[in-house]
Amino acid sequence: MDQETASAVRLDELLVAVGRMRDRQAFQTLFEHFAPRIKGYLLRLGAGASLADDLAQEAMLTMWRKAALFDPGKASAATWIFTVARNLRIDAIRRERRPEINPDDPALVPDDEPSADARLSQAGDEARLREALKALSPEQTKVVEMSFFADKPHSTIAKELGLPLGTVKSRLRLAMARIRSKLGDVR
Amino acid sequence: MTITHHPGEEFLIAYASGAADEALSLIVATHLALCPTCRRAVREVEAAGGVLLNDLKPAELSGGALKSVLSRLEEPVARKPAAENPRAPSNVPEPLRSYIGDSLQAVSWIPVAFGLAYKPLFRRGASRVQLVRSAPGAGIAMHTHRGEEFTLVLEGGYSDATGHYLRGDLQSASPAIVHHPVADDDGYCFSLAVVDAPLTFRNGAIGLLAKLMGL
Repeated sequence: MDQETASAVRLDELLVAVGRMRDRQAFQTLFEHFAPRIKGYLLRLGAGASLADDLAQEAMLTMWRKAALFDPGKASAATWIFTVARNLRIDAIRRERRPEINPDDPALVPDDEPSADARLSQAGDEARLREALKALSPEQTKVVEMSFFADKPHSTIAKELGLPLGTVKSRLRLAMARIRSKLGDVR
Repeated sequence: MTITHHPGEEFLIAYASGAADEALSLIVATHLALCPTCRRAVREVEAAGGVLLNDLKPAELSGGALKSVLSRLEEPVARKPAAENPRAPSNVPEPLRSYIGDSLQAVSWIPVAFGLAYKPLFRRGASRVQLVRSAPGAGIAMHTHRGEEFTLVLEGGYSDATGHYLRGDLQSASPAIVHHPVADDDGYCFSLAVVDAPLTFRNGAIGLLAKLMGL
């Protein structure tokens, strides 16, 4: 296990400890790791310093309250916390609802092969994903980063980069294809 | 049920990254409820989000932030009421059900043309979200759009020159396309549509009517 994977596994364990045992020491370690990254994320998205600070603290409180829902077989701690920060930003800054599926909805079409997908940990995937992201061309990296950190529709991204809309879309699709092939997932 | 028409991966990325607005997010997430394949793709993009977050340059928090959060950990939390389960089995999946209720038949439909009815839901910026109901065999008047148009079939089906669309299928039509969808003749076709600019109908009278109704 490489060092990055080991550290990802450690973060997963800490978050599980918060969820199962309300472990404040584990919470504090997670806070020190993630809160400054969430603040960095919000700053990248254009939030002012004081709002970014407040929301990073809010995200940590949400993490504490919802940690029991964290399942390391479904997502890594970093992924789970990313979704918390993303939703908080949409709610607090964009003031919009975030439409999401309800996994317990009887109208939801269930996953075809639940067991094949369920792994012990997603932490190993994180190393492969990081590799895949590093292997993207600079053009692909640019559009992926703008998707995560610019909060703009494709048409605006295209305008800002001086590219046809179709080019932005095809770069995103290529980036996605490379990420998926790295994860061994072929659609 | 096999879904053959999926949203382009750029839209799954927009949804998973949080860049998509509420209108696009609603149609993508409702497709996700019906499509395990795209749910997996969204989980992968979220995992990429986790890596990007982890690798971001940390920005130090204000002094006292940790202490302040620690002091709030045991604050009581106002619980959001859990989403109500439908009274009867519903084929309207969440998140759409929270917007329109359990039943497509019970929506207060507004007829606009022979065999065609609409129900506007909401607007976000340039995006308009609406439900569309077509009678068996009815055509949705030939139209073009200045922006992008997304259609998700909720019940029944329709065809146009690009293919046949059934429950769960999502069609995205780009601005250049002129299309003339026709509902299957074995029942009503219900769909959710998002357009990011008003439709332009080839038929002037329908165009005027649509304009008056703010479609």
